[in-house]
Amino acid sequence: MKKLNMLAAVSVLALLAGGATQALAAFPEREVTIVVPFNPGGASDMTARIIAKGMEADLGKPVVVVNKAGGSGGVGMSQVARGTPDGYTLSYIPVELVMHKALKLSDLGPDSFEFIGQTTMVPAALTVSSDAPYDTVADFIKYAKANPGKLRVGNSGTGSIWHIAASALEGNQGVTFNHIPFEGAAPAVTALMGKHIEAVTVNSGEVKAGVDAGKLKILAIMTPERDPAFPKVPTLIESGINLEFAGWGGFGAPKGTPKPVLDRLGAALQKAASSDEFKNFIVSRGMIVRYRNPEDCRKFVDDQYVFFNDLLSKMELGK
Amino acid sequence: MDSLMGLWSGFEVAMTWQNLLYCLIGVTVGQLVGVLPGIGPTTATALLIPLTYGMAPVSAIIMLSGIYYGGMYGGTITSVLINTPGEAASVITCLDGHEMAKQGRAGVALGVAAIGSFIGGIASILGLALIGPPLAEFALRFGPTEMFSLMLFGMTMVVGLMGTSIVRGLVAMFIGLTLSTIGMDPVSGMLRFTFGQPFLISGLDLVTISMGLFGLSEIFLGMENLTAVGKPEKLSSLFPKKEELKSTGGAIARGTGLGFLIGLIPGTSSAIPALISYSLEKRLSKTPGRFGKGAIEGVAGPETANNSYCGGAMIPLLTLGIPSSPTIAILLGAFIMHGLTPGPILFTQDPTFVWGVIASMFIGNLLLVVMNLPLAGWWAKIAMIPAKLLYPIVLIVCIVGAYTVSNDLWDVGVMLVFGVVGYVMKKIDIPMAPIVLTYVLGTMMEKALLQSVKMNNGSLIGLVQSPISLAILILAAIVLVGSVLAEIKNKKAAIAGDVD
Repeated sequence: MKKLNMLAAVSVLALLAGGATQALAAFPEREVTIVVPFNPGGASDMTARIIAKGMEADLGKPVVVVNKAGGSGGVGMSQVARGTPDGYTLSYIPVELVMHKALKLSDLGPDSFEFIGQTTMVPAALTVSSDAPYDTVADFIKYAKANPGKLRVGNSGTGSIWHIAASALEGNQGVTFNHIPFEGAAPAVTALMGKHIEAVTVNSGEVKAGVDAGKLKILAIMTPERDPAFPKVPTLIESGINLEFAGWGGFGAPKGTPKPVLDRLGAALQKAASSDEFKNFIVSRGMIVRYRNPEDCRKFVDDQYVFFNDLLSKMELGK
Repeated sequence: MDSLMGLWSGFEVAMTWQNLLYCLIGVTVGQLVGVLPGIGPTTATALLIPLTYGMAPVSAIIMLSGIYYGGMYGGTITSVLINTPGEAASVITCLDGHEMAKQGRAGVALGVAAIGSFIGGIASILGLALIGPPLAEFALRFGPTEMFSLMLFGMTMVVGLMGTSIVRGLVAMFIGLTLSTIGMDPVSGMLRFTFGQPFLISGLDLVTISMGLFGLSEIFLGMENLTAVGKPEKLSSLFPKKEELKSTGGAIARGTGLGFLIGLIPGTSSAIPALISYSLEKRLSKTPGRFGKGAIEGVAGPETANNSYCGGAMIPLLTLGIPSSPTIAILLGAFIMHGLTPGPILFTQDPTFVWGVIASMFIGNLLLVVMNLPLAGWWAKIAMIPAKLLYPIVLIVCIVGAYTVSNDLWDVGVMLVFGVVGYVMKKIDIPMAPIVLTYVLGTMMEKALLQSVKMNNGSLIGLVQSPISLAILILAAIVLVGSVLAEIKNKKAAIAGDVD
């Protein structure tokens, strides 16, 4: 009986392997679908659409983008993670992937996917009203220290990436903010412009209109390098605060996708991410082009998983 | 005077044949997505942004904003004809619009909606052109605290929608409020009533619920006796009756003002002025009993309000660069993608662009009314289709519409469940309108209250410290006391009548 089972297992494996090489021979034979786990129109959706266009040109088969929003990205990502690992259904992977377990939103983690590559970094910008009494991060922190819990910092939702950005700054500097959650970054920025709150820590692209209108000023960018859209604004590190923080986006396939298929997709993604159209778009939306190949991406995501879980465990969220 | 000069130069931009064409494409697409339940203007705008990549910025924005306000026209059609709202702003139109269709007056409902939409649209764009900037500054003062008071004020309007029984009305409100708590707690991040389903984390979708409660339940009810389903005897003319003209005009005027003012306030949605306008019209009417049975003001007011909302909502965007609603946020993205940052600087740096877009909105509204008036008579014929043929089509439209909400069968299931719920509620005579109204207001109210409390370090004091909020609260109290007294008086009269 045992022998028979062994035999069955071996033959199944052989079949699978055969299938894999066949898939490789002609991958892709039909259209590839990229699931975006957010609504259309957002930065993630637009990133995926431009990448899809680039990959389509390289793969020679249609690459279709489908939005499956809900559950902080959990609905779309879970569906792809559970899907057939044949490389025909991919997911846009936002930074939220590494936060899901800690926030008890889903069981998704870095191990749920094979990575095809990272494409973007989304810098956080500490932004205040233009007539606020502080002009530098140092002044801002000094004010926060003198008035614990008084500075109201808006974010894009409890447990969202920009909430964690403010918490990271808080923990790093030993100050206390009053975190105010909004439904997305845009309402938070609006509240800042109406002076209902004192600061936001959202993506720099979201505050650009307000800065240009002279109503807001950015005190610091939280990425290691300056934001090309705001070359005059210093980074946190330049301002003497040893902290880097950014959102990011990449692409993944279900666990167990054959290596040759992943390699083919990886090559197409790299090509798409190096196009001028993609670069121009990313910069115009206040993000940074940051390509990482599958191996580097895996390492980066694993590191981020540790980093975020450490931060989140101190924040007591989702309880 | 500067504004008029600007507008004049804007028309020169908007009247070039390319821009006229893009405007036409935009409003047509908007109209179509408005008709199709599920895909709303927000999604359609988002999906079309990549197509505008190679276009001149002014043409791109003209087209995309056309989708936005065009969607408000289209949503009416399905609400009136098949009791299925095409998008959130037209949910309330089902109540009286569909009743009118049953009486053979679908053409009147659609015609009045088109005219009201046109007047509301044009008036709000005039407001945008002439008095936009100072109003936008004022609207910024509406933060979470003021928002809560405003929503509370909206809640007091629900009393008037409760129908014949206060108990049944309260049950409906309770259901609406309970539904609005499903999903992630906006402040603590705690998950409520999600039962481990990732689909429920962000709550239920308004259009999905409404399609079930209104559209499907109508079909279920009709199927009980397919041959007897009330097909109108004949179609009436497209014009309202003489005695309706005055009240219709009033409803349109009030809807215009209401929509414009609420549009200015960041964080609202186009469903809110429509809902408030409906309650207001019912309250002001000398014969509130007609509402829910095909009152023309119940179509004219809300349909005007949601269009005039669009012009109002463009003001914070164009003058300050503030995205005041989800669709506007996507438009802001489109501006930025085309290298433009909306705000006061854009007015001085690139006035022809801004005025070109504003002028195109006049043209777009004109195109829409020209398209919709003749179509109204044509659409109205759908009401004559026998139920046996119409119901399967409506069912397919609903299922496809629900699927497109998030490209998932989940929403189809939710809609079916609410269809059954709606059917049961119609059987036991629980009114639907309060469910939808409390659902919309409840979601926003809870969020605003929690934000306000958190901003004031755990205290409710902010609600009375802000002068705007305090004024709205006092107004709400007056309306509430007034309507409770009126209800009691009505009930007493009704009870007395029963006894006799």
